[in-house]
Amino acid sequence: MQNTPTPATFIRLPSIAERKLGPDYCAPVRLDPRVLDQMQRTIEQLAVQYGQTLHSQINDLLSMITDATADNLYIRDKFYGIIHDVRGLAGTFGHPIVGKFAKSLCRYMETCTNLNPTIVRFHIEAMRDALEDAHPDEKLSDETLTSLAHLIEAAEHESETARESETG
Amino acid sequence: MTTNKDADAQAKTIALLRDLKVLIVEDSDAMRALLTALLTAMGITHISCAQEGDAGLKRFTEIMPDLVITDGMMKPTTGYAMTRAIRNLRTPDNKPAPGSDVPVLMLSGHGEPHIVKWARDGGVTDYIVKPVTAELLLARVLAAISSPIHIVETATYRGPSPRRRLVPHEATLTPPVKSQS
Repeated sequence: MQNTPTPATFIRLPSIAERKLGPDYCAPVRLDPRVLDQMQRTIEQLAVQYGQTLHSQINDLLSMITDATADNLYIRDKFYGIIHDVRGLAGTFGHPIVGKFAKSLCRYMETCTNLNPTIVRFHIEAMRDALEDAHPDEKLSDETLTSLAHLIEAAEHESETARESETG
Repeated sequence: MTTNKDADAQAKTIALLRDLKVLIVEDSDAMRALLTALLTAMGITHISCAQEGDAGLKRFTEIMPDLVITDGMMKPTTGYAMTRAIRNLRTPDNKPAPGSDVPVLMLSGHGEPHIVKWARDGGVTDYIVKPVTAELLLARVLAAISSPIHIVETATYRGPSPRRRLVPHEATLTPPVKSQS
């Protein structure tokens, strides 16, 4: 039997700008550079409040570690939700290193079912230290991230070995 | 120096943004607040929000936005599923519904290739990996509204070409610079 390709139609529709501004619209869309300044000022204003929120989120995370790494799925879900939020927002508000640790922890939680409380705690403590340090050292943070990655790898290897010996 | 032509182009853009209807679908309260504040700073006044994909789709059909900005992973319905549903909207006589070609800008914490591919295949127009910066958001919103919309229509799919290369845009972030004191 011959494989016939699905027929496809290609359509070009006018851009949103063309539709709104009519035929006299010409690309590219230009905007006063002060708009970007205004957006950056908006972030700076929100950053103050976000710093306080982040501080209290980290305290919440520290208090949830035991439950989140046990079988409490509700807490684990809530815990992941906070970490996911931090991963998405910390960098925008001037805490990129906190965001990097959150990203590492998110990935760990997404790939591992049996969470190691020590690894989770190390992540949160690294986030707290980066937040409290006004000028966190990027190089040191990268080294910490590498160490955390090695710890995750070792823990995964250990649980794999345990699973293998259980199944004989 | 600003020429009359530049001033005219900028005035048109201001008018365009003032008239633009944007739907934000995002489960994080803080991210919704941030996006709303940034779009407002751009001069966009018609901003609607929903907290997940089902509510987003409902809001979409109510307001028919010119641009959708959505998160990826949300519960119960993701931004990926919502985008597919928007692309598949039909009129009662089974024609593509007006607005189903809307630019969809996805903001996600996930930059892994298989997830970006999943978003592309679902009909996402552009993909930004969080964290977002003012510069990045401004550039991608302007690109989304000023680029012509190219649609591919087959028996099973209607939307931006699923074979195109969707590049995830990522901001370069650096920690605060150490003071010399």
